[in-house]
Amino acid sequence: MLVKVRSVANVGLVALPVTVEVDVAEQGFPGFTIVGLAGKAVEEARERVKTAINNSGMDFPPKKITVNLAPADLPKDGGAYDLPMAVGILAASGQIQDSRFMIHDSIYYGELSLDGDLRATKGVLLVGLFARSISPSNPPLTAETRAEGEKVRGGNLKGVLPEIFVPIESANEAAVVEGISVFPVRNLKELVDHLNEVSVIKSLGYLVIEDLVEDERVEYDLAEVAGQEQAKRALTIAAAGGHNLVMWGPPGTGKTMLARAMPGILPPLLPAEALEVTRVYSVAGLLQPGESLVRRRPFRSPHHGVSAAGMIGGGSNPLPGEVSLAHLGVLFLDEMAEFPRSVLEGLRQPMEDGQVQIVRAAAHVSYPASFTLVAAVNPCPCGFLGHPRRECRCSELAIRKYRGRMSGPILDRIDLHVQVPAVEVEKLSNAPSGPPVTAKTRAGGEKVRGGRGSYDGSGDVRKKVIAARKIQEGRFKSDGIFINSQMKNRQVRKYCPLNGETERILRLAVEKWDLSARAYFKLIKVARTIADLGGEKDILPVHMAEALQYRQMG
Amino acid sequence: MKVLNREVGRKGEEIAAEYLAAKGYEVILRNYSTRFGEIDLICRGKDILVFVEVKAKKGLKFGRPEEMFTRYKLEKVKRMATVYLEGRDVPCRIDMVAVVLDEFNRPVEIKHYQNVT
Repeated sequence: MLVKVRSVANVGLVALPVTVEVDVAEQGFPGFTIVGLAGKAVEEARERVKTAINNSGMDFPPKKITVNLAPADLPKDGGAYDLPMAVGILAASGQIQDSRFMIHDSIYYGELSLDGDLRATKGVLLVGLFARSISPSNPPLTAETRAEGEKVRGGNLKGVLPEIFVPIESANEAAVVEGISVFPVRNLKELVDHLNEVSVIKSLGYLVIEDLVEDERVEYDLAEVAGQEQAKRALTIAAAGGHNLVMWGPPGTGKTMLARAMPGILPPLLPAEALEVTRVYSVAGLLQPGESLVRRRPFRSPHHGVSAAGMIGGGSNPLPGEVSLAHLGVLFLDEMAEFPRSVLEGLRQPMEDGQVQIVRAAAHVSYPASFTLVAAVNPCPCGFLGHPRRECRCSELAIRKYRGRMSGPILDRIDLHVQVPAVEVEKLSNAPSGPPVTAKTRAGGEKVRGGRGSYDGSGDVRKKVIAARKIQEGRFKSDGIFINSQMKNRQVRKYCPLNGETERILRLAVEKWDLSARAYFKLIKVARTIADLGGEKDILPVHMAEALQYRQMG
Repeated sequence: MKVLNREVGRKGEEIAAEYLAAKGYEVILRNYSTRFGEIDLICRGKDILVFVEVKAKKGLKFGRPEEMFTRYKLEKVKRMATVYLEGRDVPCRIDMVAVVLDEFNRPVEIKHYQNVT
């Protein structure tokens, strides 16, 4: 008998429908064949499915079994087809009452373990979004139309809402999708009992995105870094407007600590943003079991040994790289000059477009990669160039070679250049002796006083950043962007009119330093963010002057 | 143990031969062996020459007899069949007979699969 079971294939961030056709023939030599451009992992599903069925107390039929994964020209890989195949085989051999419509209409997705349990499988959020896209009611995802969604749900249109059966450990990912029924499946036996109406698997309740609490953990607080007010200010601007930042300075002055404090001053993800980030993490298989949504802005700090494929994304069925995992968050490159040139140059396209196109023989996918670049560099190989007391031992040539590793086009794309000089001893020794700053005191917005300089702790800075982002959000309501750094030139002209004096300062600087057209627009964007941080409606000369100050390279 | 296995195999072949004879096949050769191995049964069906591989199992504790018939074994039978034919062009096919025995070596189940290539 022939049974068709629905499943999906994830290509990049898109789920495409796949029909798993299972034929269990009465005639013919027993065997199990899988066709339909099945990758190695799908081929091996034969042994998993067979053993899982037997170990679940059901019979793997000793008959000629042919499985076809349609469409035939779409490459399929991974363990997610285990479940639809097992369901198809059990239905085609009469162990699931096939007269029920559910088998044909529901989507099955998940990898089987040999004992019949379902393992966490990547990409479940995409399955949920796909199911929603084919839902007849198709309710929107955001809060505004929640009431409408509740009506659909309250009406209990069983059989109208698309049903998906996914591993219990990954099911929470799909629970944030409205308008579908998500069934968390623990093992094959439980699923078969559910389909045969012997027992019932309860579908997951819809998780309202806005209700999911944000993880408050903070690794480093800005207040823990001694001095470095200028760098902290630059970090604040970078966080508020999403501008790229590079910190120049000798070893041990706090560059890395400052960068690591960045997550603590970034605003929480908006619901739509959280969904975007989670899609990437779901595909990459980086969500923890039971995790539903990424609620913190990503902070990625790949080691400089990273390959181009690791940074940009790659593989024959391309997976997202570091730039995409840092989407809507921070990509931190410590010791930027140590990264291979090819890796750094590969950043140019994503920095410009906010996404990466990865082309391989088997697939052509595009991943979002709208990140804020934060980099730390020593000024020279020995690190002490420009140090007030220590002598730099590098030759002119060595310094030139070292700087040459970061090409002009890359440095031109970085809006904020800031010095992180050696710290004065007095500032270090005046460290406060109280308990370390925790999330709790941070939330209280306590200003850290004492000899550590006059800059605020992360809690206060974050409030300012959030306020500045609110202003930007309001400004770009109809533009489909969120922050100043995402403005196109057309939007810069629209939202950033310059008055006479401001314009004059900018022109002067562009002529004096021979700045590129890109740098010209980037300067205006940074000035816009500085004005937003100050709560000013217009960009004043003082804002432009500060923006210009961050253009001088180390 | 080895001796016991051979006993099961021999018994299986005997049962298969009887079964095929009852179905109207004429068994013309048993245990045709070459340096490559052995063909269990060679039969003449209606207008066709049939090479038969017999697999017997005592109980199902260690899997079904069909599972013991691997792609490798099939290739082996094919090769020996080629040797047997010596280039003669006659219609032929390869069949498989699966025999399940009980503890007293009595057949519980006999299955005949035609044209397994």
